[in-house]
Amino acid sequence: MSHYNNTGGYNNTAYHDSDTLEIDRSPSRKSQSQSHHSNPHGNPYPRDDGAAGERGRSDLLQLPGGVQSSYDDAQERVPWGGWQEGSWRGRDSIPMGLLPPRSESPRWQQHDLNHSGYQIDQATHYDTMPPVRLPSATSGHVSMRFRGSRKMSLFPVGEAALGNLGLSEDDIRNEMENEEHNLVQELVAMSTRDRIKAIRDLPMSFDDKKHIRGQVLALKSFKKSRQLNCFSDCSTTVSLAFRRCGANMTLARQTLELWRGTMKEVEGKFGTGVLSYFKFLKWLLMFNIFSFLVNFGFITIPQLIYHPTPDIPAGVSFRGLEILTGAGYFSHTVMYYGGYSNKTQGTGGWPEYNMQLAYFFTIAAYMVLCGAALIYSMASSFRKKYVLADSGLGGAWQLLCSWDFSVTNEKAVRQRKNNLRIQLKESLSEKVQVALLPLTERLKHYGVFLGTWLLSTGMALGCGASVYFLCQYDTSRTRKSADKASGSLLEEAATLLLPFVVSLINLVVPLFYSLFKKIEHYSNPRMQVYAIIVRNVILKMSILAILCYYWMKDVANTFSCWESIVGQALYRLVIMDFLFVMLGSFFGEFLSNVIGTKCIQSLGVPEFDVARNVLDLIYAQTLAWIGIYFSPLLPVIQIIKFFILFYLKKVSLTQNCQPPRRAGRAAQMQTIFIAILFFPSFVGALSMVAYTVWTLPPSDKCGPFRGLNTTFSAIQIWMDDLNGVDAFQWTVWIYQHVIRSEIFYFLVSLIILVFIYIFRQITQGRQLLIILLRQQIVNEGKDKAFLLEKLQTLQKSKQNKQKKKKQVRKRQENESSTGMQQALIARQRLEQENGDSSSSFGVPMPSGHSVSTTSSAMMQAMLARQYAEDQDVASYRGVPFPADQTPASSSALIQAMQARQRAESQNEDEFYRAPVQSQNPVNALPSAMIQVMQARQRAESEQEEDEFYRAPIHSEHPVSSTSSAMIQVMQARQRAEEEESECYRAPASSQHPDASGTGSALIQAMLARQQVEEEYGDRY
Amino acid sequence: MGTTASQLGKDLLSEYQELTFLTKQEILLAHKRFSELLSKEDRNLTSVPMEKVLSLPELKSNPFRKRICHVFSTSDMKDGSLTFEDFLDLLSAFSDSATLEIKSHYAFRIFDFDDDGTLDGGDLEKLVNCLTGETEDTRLTPEEMRQLISNILEESDIDKDGTVNLSEFQHVISRSPDFVSSFKIVL
Repeated sequence: MSHYNNTGGYNNTAYHDSDTLEIDRSPSRKSQSQSHHSNPHGNPYPRDDGAAGERGRSDLLQLPGGVQSSYDDAQERVPWGGWQEGSWRGRDSIPMGLLPPRSESPRWQQHDLNHSGYQIDQATHYDTMPPVRLPSATSGHVSMRFRGSRKMSLFPVGEAALGNLGLSEDDIRNEMENEEHNLVQELVAMSTRDRIKAIRDLPMSFDDKKHIRGQVLALKSFKKSRQLNCFSDCSTTVSLAFRRCGANMTLARQTLELWRGTMKEVEGKFGTGVLSYFKFLKWLLMFNIFSFLVNFGFITIPQLIYHPTPDIPAGVSFRGLEILTGAGYFSHTVMYYGGYSNKTQGTGGWPEYNMQLAYFFTIAAYMVLCGAALIYSMASSFRKKYVLADSGLGGAWQLLCSWDFSVTNEKAVRQRKNNLRIQLKESLSEKVQVALLPLTERLKHYGVFLGTWLLSTGMALGCGASVYFLCQYDTSRTRKSADKASGSLLEEAATLLLPFVVSLINLVVPLFYSLFKKIEHYSNPRMQVYAIIVRNVILKMSILAILCYYWMKDVANTFSCWESIVGQALYRLVIMDFLFVMLGSFFGEFLSNVIGTKCIQSLGVPEFDVARNVLDLIYAQTLAWIGIYFSPLLPVIQIIKFFILFYLKKVSLTQNCQPPRRAGRAAQMQTIFIAILFFPSFVGALSMVAYTVWTLPPSDKCGPFRGLNTTFSAIQIWMDDLNGVDAFQWTVWIYQHVIRSEIFYFLVSLIILVFIYIFRQITQGRQLLIILLRQQIVNEGKDKAFLLEKLQTLQKSKQNKQKKKKQVRKRQENESSTGMQQALIARQRLEQENGDSSSSFGVPMPSGHSVSTTSSAMMQAMLARQYAEDQDVASYRGVPFPADQTPASSSALIQAMQARQRAESQNEDEFYRAPVQSQNPVNALPSAMIQVMQARQRAESEQEEDEFYRAPIHSEHPVSSTSSAMIQVMQARQRAEEEESECYRAPASSQHPDASGTGSALIQAMLARQQVEEEYGDRY
Repeated sequence: MGTTASQLGKDLLSEYQELTFLTKQEILLAHKRFSELLSKEDRNLTSVPMEKVLSLPELKSNPFRKRICHVFSTSDMKDGSLTFEDFLDLLSAFSDSATLEIKSHYAFRIFDFDDDGTLDGGDLEKLVNCLTGETEDTRLTPEEMRQLISNILEESDIDKDGTVNLSEFQHVISRSPDFVSSFKIVL
């Protein structure tokens, strides 16, 4: 019993027991753990996976196999010999009582009797036993899912399982095989793809997965060989081909993956937060490449085929400045809207190609596809990363879990550790700080917020207004120069003024905004980042809105080929933005690095500001989207820009920057960026283009839509053409009844609204359910804590009571029987408690959380008790006491006692020293029992009383057989005790022949006593 | 690349592909890197000792490197040595395409320093020490550590048994979206 000395507390008892079992099995571990690995369903030894309560339960199933096998194998396997008692003891000895009748296992019996002194042996054994850890390879190999099912299957068994506890090793092996078989069956039933996925998802080691897969495949091929036919063969081949194809596609995609090495390098040094900027950049690049391919393929190539050379008026030549301004030479090429013809191409053997329709549908298709891709990635990103994230869980786990395993740079790792430490400390101090803030401080903070927000919004509006006035100045100037029709370089350069100012605003004002964080004090650093993002977005979008307004209102009415003018303006903006981003990384990163390292050391090396840089990208992409109608080849510029930007930023990052101090929330930031890219950016660009297409009159002189009222009337004309052709009637019908009918849109929006409402309700329902389930888990935890507490208080009060009783009766009663009485009372108490706990734990828990180890220990104790009682009753009713029956019943009693003890007093080590010290070289079985009694006694009485009680027990030894009979009396008495407390006295006195028959509730006790008298009268 | 492909064999390769989250290219790369570890001495050895695995630049500065080796090692000696298949297992669990469940399962085992199936106070303390640095001056003070651990338990110990078990851990993980992207090692 000294083995409990190393038990840490309630929770670990069962676990340590399973340790001992592990030791027992160690010689054969290889084979067992093999099957254990390969079979998560059928793992009967889930000793290691955190579900402590279940562990305790499964122990119940485990033990008999372990113990019995240890006996069975005792002769064959040398190492077992030394451990067999260990397993006996460590297992609460439950299996002993659960064994089949002795006639079936003579060797057991013999063994048992031969080991009369086993307690001494193994007590010392445990003292010397080195602590043995579970092999890590076997720990935690069982997934939650599988354990869940396991638990469910175990719970209903509960007490009924007692009868089955006499499982042999074979049984257990069978069960394991069974469960493994089930898993394999399950897998075989799946389709090939699902199966591969399912096997891959098993949290097991490679070997085990291989084993399972081998079995599945073997079974599969076996089945197949029986029912082979052409169709299945065909389908297998086809599916195999598809899978191969899919794998090859992934491979090709990976080979083509851009910048893989660079990405890894950046990630290794700066972590996932910074990497998300580069990923975003790459993603946008893909958008632009796609847009370029579409535009180039469907608009530009046909145009170039039919008109290989642009109509460039005389006197216009390429002067170099066009690269910046996009005007002049470029304005007559396919770069802009104006460069495309409106004719239906197709004379001279070429197939017909309607440029109007091609232009319209290409742009429309691109916009729709872009929108779909954005919505898809935004939604999936929201689902994965935002909705699930709990803002209430802002603390330590968030930080601990965000450790970047991909960071490989030694210096970066050190820096990260530093940052993490600082953040952990901050998170600790934050909790204290929140409560301390007085009202005046808070008011001051709100004032500051109000001021900064007013200031920032005012600045954004002011910038918008100034841009608008600049635009109007620009218009008047351009009109003047257009009148003169002289394209001097200076005038061309003057067009750069507007984009220069806009880009300057975009560069300077955000820097100014970032100064705000010096005066603002957000409780949460994340709020600060959000505030900066919102302000920047407001600024950028207000400027773009003003520009769009200007283009559509003024430019569209002033110039003859206004689409090309807008295209040029956008081109200039894109180019200027590019230059300023480069400047920005020079000033923002390089210069501040120089300043930080050389001049003002306190500033330090700048951090890479992911938010600001991503917002720059979003702004640039918005320009490209707006420009897609006016300048179909603008994506080319964008591609080049992003490509250069990638390398530029990478160099700037590695040379000038340090990783951001605040790690974490990178994933959420990414979601926010995608959302921003979608909402103000894409939606804004789309509405701008849609407005242009639907309402603005296209220019008369140039472009594919010249001469039409609106761009959209190209479709009208097409439909009118189709109307005459019978084959296309359905298109016309769709056009008239779907596209142009208000009722259709009305219905569609109505349906969508209804669906949104329904889904919203479902979401709210789920949220409620989550709250309830959470509450339930918390309640379960509270239940457990409550039960533990009750157990302890009961124990304490019982000790007090016992003391009182003892003082009263010390003189009158036989002391040894008092000791036993205590044991019995204790047992009874336990029965009550266990009754409580069994009713609460017998309910299967839907939450999937583990039952505590303590409660499982209690369960064990209870089960053992019950079983012991059953046996006692059985042996009691068999009137004569056969000599060979006593071991079984008394050992059952011992088990009960031990279990009792364990459940009651885990922490107090001194309790368990008792049996070690009190070895009595007497007849084995009663002495064992007595030792247990002593242990109980000690546990309950004070140290000084201990000596007092030991003597009487010694005196019992000569009449060993009597004491075993006495146990029976005790059993009987216990049942009788339900009625009244005075009955305590009766069984105690039942040792004296004249004290029989104290009450009607004591009939059983009397019967027992009489039997004792009959049988042992001779000896008396 | 060609030579490694021939070394691995087509059947084996497809099996690896099927049982891990890795693509063919990644497996080949892994095999190349793995056989480089074995290069000079005995090539006939099946497993690489832990010291050599830890010399990989991807693992060299990882604070959990030893735990990672121990968790993924199937060696009977408990010395953290990895066979090629263990190595693939490791890369698979740390790959981009591994599921959250797999990742959190292995993260739990890596964080469970004493291998007892739950994250108790001791494990958490070791975890925090691992992440903040082991030396005396970088470590948190005992008071801070106590506070931190009680915060952690308060956050995640739903059934209030004083430890964080696997399901509680997975619950926490599912709510910290950065985990999937940061629990990653790419060769």
